[in-house]
Amino acid sequence: MKKVVSEISGAVFSLPWFIAKDHGLFEAEGIDMEFVRTRPSGAVPQTENPEAVNPILGHTAFEERRVSIYRA
Amino acid sequence: MVRPDSPHNYPGTLGHRPVAVQFHAGSHYVALRLLEGYLPNDKIKLVHFGSPQQRFEAMWRGEVDACVVMEPWIALGEKLGCKALCEGHYLGAENASDDMDEATFAAINRAVGKAIDLLNADKRRYLHYLIDDPRHAQALAKYGGLTPEDFHLPRLRYVKATPYTDEIVADTYHWMVRWGLIDSKASAADLVDNRIARAAATLADDA
Repeated sequence: MKKVVSEISGAVFSLPWFIAKDHGLFEAEGIDMEFVRTRPSGAVPQTENPEAVNPILGHTAFEERRVSIYRA
Repeated sequence: MVRPDSPHNYPGTLGHRPVAVQFHAGSHYVALRLLEGYLPNDKIKLVHFGSPQQRFEAMWRGEVDACVVMEPWIALGEKLGCKALCEGHYLGAENASDDMDEATFAAINRAVGKAIDLLNADKRRYLHYLIDDPRHAQALAKYGGLTPEDFHLPRLRYVKATPYTDEIVADTYHWMVRWGLIDSKASAADLVDNRIARAAATLADDA
């Protein structure tokens, strides 16, 4: 089995992934799929300036190479 | 989306009024794409509020005139009597690290594709994943909760993954440059590498 770790952020983006995992569809393809949930952001400084916000947002696990795939 | 008692009934009155989004995410880009059809650019006032829950609650408390959210927050808002002033859709993206190999990506796409077939055959059966998500289940319950019957099913559009076309990449890139969201010196060819996606799509189709 090939181990793959995937980030899960908004459930609406990952709905088919939940179904694939719970129905054994990844396993049937030889994929041992692990999900890592992003942590909801706490209070954020409100701003009207996009440059004041880090565009990485919650995808830190991907940036840190702890997951190999994410969707948005 | 606006509060039930909001004076706004279409996007054209939102000029200079705060709209809650998450910068550099879908809510940011969709807000610009929708509002620029109704308002001059300098009247569009987007404010970064973070997560969908934070945006929804800023709208609900009256801190902003409107918020941009996706499901399940649209279903919750409509259940509470909020008004959707406009609605847009965008293509999702699978972003893989540079060590993802073609065979693994193709296997993942086959599994997810089969799940999409199951989902589209009976969407309501799987909406519990949206309702019970631990990121927001408590917050939904605070506002009275949701059931699968509260969702407008045609809004949930899931299709099998295909590589972005060069035309889509180019159109999106030029739109982002126009809004100052990307360095105009950047090249679309340097920013998007569909190498694995294209090969994996072929492998998935062949299976």
